[in-house]
Amino acid sequence: MTITVALVGNGGIGTQDHQSSMYGPAFERHPLFSLVDDPAAAQVLSIAVPLAERGAAIADAVRAGKHVLADKPLAATLAEAVEIERLAAEHGVVVVPAHHQRFNAALRSATAAVRAGRVGLPWNVQCDFVVAGGDPAPTGELVNFGLYPVDVVRALLGLEVRRVHATGSPDLVTLLLDHDHGVTSTIVCGRVPALRDLPPGGLAVHRYRISGSHGVLAVDARKPALQVRTTESNGLVWTGPGTVDALLDVLAAGIASGAGRAAIGPHDAVRAQRVIEAAQRSMETGQPVETGE
Amino acid sequence: MDRIGIVLVGAGFIADAHSGAIDADPRAELIGIVDAAPGRAAAFARKQGGIRHALDLDTALSWPGVDAVILCTPNDTHAPIGLAVAAAGKHLLVEKPLATTVADAQRLARAFEAAGTVLVAAHTHRFYDYGVAVKQTIDSGAIGRPKLVRLAILGGWIWPDWSAWVGDPDRSGGHALHNGVHLLDLATWWLGQEPTAIYARGRKQTAAELRIYDYLEMVVTYADGATAVCEMSRAHRPGSLAQRELLVAGTEGIVEQGWDGESSLVFGEAGTATLPAAGGNGFAKQLGAWLDAIGGAPPQMPVADAVRAVVLGVAVEESIATGRPVAVTA
Repeated sequence: MTITVALVGNGGIGTQDHQSSMYGPAFERHPLFSLVDDPAAAQVLSIAVPLAERGAAIADAVRAGKHVLADKPLAATLAEAVEIERLAAEHGVVVVPAHHQRFNAALRSATAAVRAGRVGLPWNVQCDFVVAGGDPAPTGELVNFGLYPVDVVRALLGLEVRRVHATGSPDLVTLLLDHDHGVTSTIVCGRVPALRDLPPGGLAVHRYRISGSHGVLAVDARKPALQVRTTESNGLVWTGPGTVDALLDVLAAGIASGAGRAAIGPHDAVRAQRVIEAAQRSMETGQPVETGE
Repeated sequence: MDRIGIVLVGAGFIADAHSGAIDADPRAELIGIVDAAPGRAAAFARKQGGIRHALDLDTALSWPGVDAVILCTPNDTHAPIGLAVAAAGKHLLVEKPLATTVADAQRLARAFEAAGTVLVAAHTHRFYDYGVAVKQTIDSGAIGRPKLVRLAILGGWIWPDWSAWVGDPDRSGGHALHNGVHLLDLATWWLGQEPTAIYARGRKQTAAELRIYDYLEMVVTYADGATAVCEMSRAHRPGSLAQRELLVAGTEGIVEQGWDGESSLVFGEAGTATLPAAGGNGFAKQLGAWLDAIGGAPPQMPVADAVRAVVLGVAVEESIATGRPVAVTA
């Protein structure tokens, strides 16, 4: 018995169509889901409408009792994201924001290792999330994909972000985050021009260094991959399930549990959005900003 | 051509690197060594084949053939000893930082300008292979206008014991002045931009009782909007695994060197360690550039840049203390 899914929307930020490029194909190949045309007949709606309309579309779906896979960011504003979190709890449906990078195989192992004390007590994380080429986001890249590394760092540490200082530009920003226990993290996030041998919009750099009292964990999140060099090209070829496939596993498990929640939910989107909005205020004022967490 | 006669002041561990550079340059001659500890100066002099040694600078400055001084003493002594060298009309290569306060750094700059002698601060990373290669790559235009520098120098070793002067902020100026200035200067030199603000975070990871930060994260914002994220650490464990990582992102491309970009990796029964490539001798290149400047060439490490490094280092300590960004003007 599979879970029925309808694809809703083909929009996003700027020219994005993650529905066609990511979610649709992933649902199609996933053994636990089957696509249907009629949203009313579907148990899950995969919602990828333009950001300005997204919060309302997700809220409507939740009110209709649908589970949701939501393109990222979950909503355009923190207030909308908070309302979706409240509605999802009220209606007992699973809402999974597409923070799929935290389900990278290397990062899942890293998260488990950090939480198991493999580097002792973590005290700092350094992250670079640098995309090459593709269409620049009209919102700026902080809004577009800043939430990915923020979400990964939250998952790695299990610690909320209390304070944000941001510098740089909206297309290449440096976020300096303060967590509890004096733990700090730094995220460089943005887009550089297209680079040879990288697909447009591919990750040129995606790495994490987690420093702990008893060791260091260095994660290259462009892996697991093969390095393939030919007379024509030189590049990495991903091995194993992709991050969106893993995200759908989480969605399916959340629905199967009957508990109305998955391993990632609207609360994660709310917390990421708080950090992004604090970073925007910090960029405007030049000063660190409390997230209010 | 007469060789430049040099006196080394301070016989600590870094003096060996400088004397090795002198030995390798036919334009230079090591005349003698000064150290306040009698045994240390004499031992160093014997090791160098019986060169002169003295307990005080005045004696050494009176030796015949002395043209220049290399100063390797604790950071808080750089200003008074440097001013004495300027007053004696000698050239000076001073270990970084130029001084532990901005006022002292500016005083030194003025003194050497008035004396007409060459003052250079030992920001040696400008002369290391990687430092030169990154600068050349940026200046070639290959990556367009650089917008971001990330530079991390992570070494697990800590200073020997509680008596180490580096651990005393009154003597070293703090870790930002002692080691942080290497990265602050290098990133600024690479970018070729003027810094406008510093935001820094520090940590006393090895021991809560440390009086300096063994981990520093120093984020510099530049006039053109570029950012430099500089990490300097003696806090990373295991101590056997020193790492250096860099990333420069520009409008046309990126430059990267990961921890294994220069080093090999040793997996042994005693643990895991990086093995840096032999490469060029940064100290020898630095000495050569100083000798060139004494001969009239433009300095590769201008005094103004050394003063600016002190300004940045002081701003780092202030930012950590206040938790706020600090505006800087060199």
